[in-house]
Amino acid sequence: MDQPALAVTALAVTALAPTAPEPAAPEPARWVRFHGRRPTFRRLVMRGALLELLTAGFYRFWLATDIRRHLWSHTLIDGDPLEYVGRARELLIGFLVATAILVPVYLAYFLIGLEATRLQAFAGLPLVLVLYVFAGFAAYRSRRYRVTRTVWRGLRASMTGSGIGYALRMVAWDLLVVISLGLALPWRQAALERYKMRHTAYGTLAGAFDGTGGALFRRGWPLWLLAIPGVLLIIPIPFLVAAFRAILWQWWVSNIRFGAVRFHSYLDRDSLFGCYWKATGWAVLLAVMMGLWLGGVLGIAAALATAPVPGGTPDYAMAFQHPLVVAGIAIGYLLMVLGLGVVIRIYLTRDIWARIAETTAIHGLSAADGVTGQGSAADALGEGFAGGFDLNLGGI
Amino acid sequence: MPPDQADRPPAVFYDGASNRRHPVRLVTGPDLAMEEDGVTIARWAYGDIRRADGDGRLRLRCLSGPPLARLEIADEALAASLLARLPASGRDAGRGHGRARQIVGWSLAACVSILALVLYGIPFAAGRLAPLVPLSVEQRLGDATDTRLRAMLGGRVCTRPDGAAALARMVEALGTAGGIARPVEVLVLSSPVANAVTLPGGRIYVFDGLLRKAETPDELAGLIAHEMGHVHNRDGLRTVIRAGGTSFLIGLLFGDVTGGAAIIFAANALLDAAQSRDAERVADDFAAATVTALGRPPAAFGDLLVRITGSDSRGTILDSHPVSVERLDRLAAAPGTAQTLSSGPALLDDAGWQALRQICADAATGSHPGPDGPKGPVRRSDKQNRP
Repeated sequence: MDQPALAVTALAVTALAPTAPEPAAPEPARWVRFHGRRPTFRRLVMRGALLELLTAGFYRFWLATDIRRHLWSHTLIDGDPLEYVGRARELLIGFLVATAILVPVYLAYFLIGLEATRLQAFAGLPLVLVLYVFAGFAAYRSRRYRVTRTVWRGLRASMTGSGIGYALRMVAWDLLVVISLGLALPWRQAALERYKMRHTAYGTLAGAFDGTGGALFRRGWPLWLLAIPGVLLIIPIPFLVAAFRAILWQWWVSNIRFGAVRFHSYLDRDSLFGCYWKATGWAVLLAVMMGLWLGGVLGIAAALATAPVPGGTPDYAMAFQHPLVVAGIAIGYLLMVLGLGVVIRIYLTRDIWARIAETTAIHGLSAADGVTGQGSAADALGEGFAGGFDLNLGGI
Repeated sequence: MPPDQADRPPAVFYDGASNRRHPVRLVTGPDLAMEEDGVTIARWAYGDIRRADGDGRLRLRCLSGPPLARLEIADEALAASLLARLPASGRDAGRGHGRARQIVGWSLAACVSILALVLYGIPFAAGRLAPLVPLSVEQRLGDATDTRLRAMLGGRVCTRPDGAAALARMVEALGTAGGIARPVEVLVLSSPVANAVTLPGGRIYVFDGLLRKAETPDELAGLIAHEMGHVHNRDGLRTVIRAGGTSFLIGLLFGDVTGGAAIIFAANALLDAAQSRDAERVADDFAAATVTALGRPPAAFGDLLVRITGSDSRGTILDSHPVSVERLDRLAAAPGTAQTLSSGPALLDDAGWQALRQICADAATGSHPGPDGPKGPVRRSDKQNRP
């Protein structure tokens, strides 16, 4: 599970430089604010979806960049906006490089698969495993790209660490989670966050993560109990997911530290219900519309189907394969996918981002005054792999 | 609480080396000078100044100098007067409509080139590559496909001895006449579908449903010779190479659109159909030449095709096989047909033919696999795909 680049709001730090330091008085809390306007964002993602359609998906690099620029630049930390300095061209190059690396990998897989299928009919598992380990690597490198493209008050956040090291840790922890039927999840989250934050910094302020698996477990265990009956009943799923995400975010934000700068999140367990329900409602509506469209297209095709021999049954298979029918189905499908993308970006990306930002307080900002030091900007290879592998890494 | 925006200094400068805020006074001369406490701490040339993202207030960066140095201007009058001095390229933050047009244009160019590759480049490459692949590798590919295909089709291989012997005689005669340089294995599958499938590596499955539609040994011989043509031309291997290349290229295009797999599948189906039509014609010609060499009528195979599919002469772009009537005419017009029509000995006597037709009879054909054929590299057996 990737922690979207919201990590970077944590890089927030500093109060107005105090003219006379008063160590006696405790420093008042500072706040994170989100000033992005919803209609602006909606226009941005709708236009983006249309352009993705026109460009057969190539626009995705520009859309992702524009979304990040919007979210970052309207997120204010102590009155100063974050700035995202990544550019779509970097993502495109990262994607092309990743592709060049993937070609031999795919070819090797094909040849290995040739050997494996002789042993058993359906041997798709190895590739899934390879992709899964790779996804961990790509997620870490993607985060590194996003973090190092985040600027606040003229200073870049930085990130080091090894994508492969992270991927191996992730695999080991996931094994434990599976063996423990999900009970180990809080400790997995804590361990992986510690690794990520340990390698993150803002200038000379080293990042750290103080969260423990135990604390997360104490807040989340009812959800674990409810998971099986909840999934079986289907309806509660959005509630469960929303509560789980809210608990996770609250725990995560509240345990981030940069030097002596600490954060606290006032996000409630039910804060994200609305976002998830709206997204679910729209998804169901889109699916119903897609069903009606499909039924309409196939119905017309069936009505126009002709029999190969007079008096015989109409050849429906033939009619359904008519190019116009295929094109109609394809157009309906693409529109649904793009609509779903818009819905997810508005309700699950922007709205959740805004809610988390608005409920975050910062303590001890003066520790960040006059911080110096600049990390280097990482490449976008991880993002390229993620794009090439069709992985949804938080979508931001 | 956020600091009150009103008590902000009119302009704040960040030098990009530390995060200290420098409240500055802007001096607009030949270039833009920033003064802190009467000392000039930075000078920016107007031509190098660009807008940076910001929330409601003007934020500027400079192309020359530290890349992360920023100037923030909260005072609106000051911001407007400064913007007026910037070059046009400095006034927007690089998100204009011109950019979108450019991206659309380049993307379309990329799409056209990828489509051209898919339609012409990859088939050409597959044709050139196929002969270079060692027979043993193709054999292996066939084995891999075979496992998967058999799992999907169900059914069993029919091996009634007298039928199998008759089939072996026919295959032997056809193989010799066709001049195929590699072993060909023909098996009958107990499936009710009227079809036949050829795998890379030279294994041919004739379904029992097709065997029952054939009325004379000549019809079946034409069909087997046609499938041998596919073996001879290594069509299965070509399809695998082509489908792999196409999937990869289209996957590139739709890397991130969910359901790219569905798009790839549809595109492959269309391409397969378009490109295997040619392969079918070539295999028909091979079949005609083979049975003619044995002195048997090639048109019998055409009769079988018409019986299976009806005489409907409309095709769609998804038809992998040329329309049957057209094929019948072509087969009947095969060179040398008139002289050799039925001049050779019959390929099977009556007893042999009956035995072959009963090859699956010793067990009830219990399994009725649906009309869906294999979805693997060899995709030539759904209802549309006639032998």
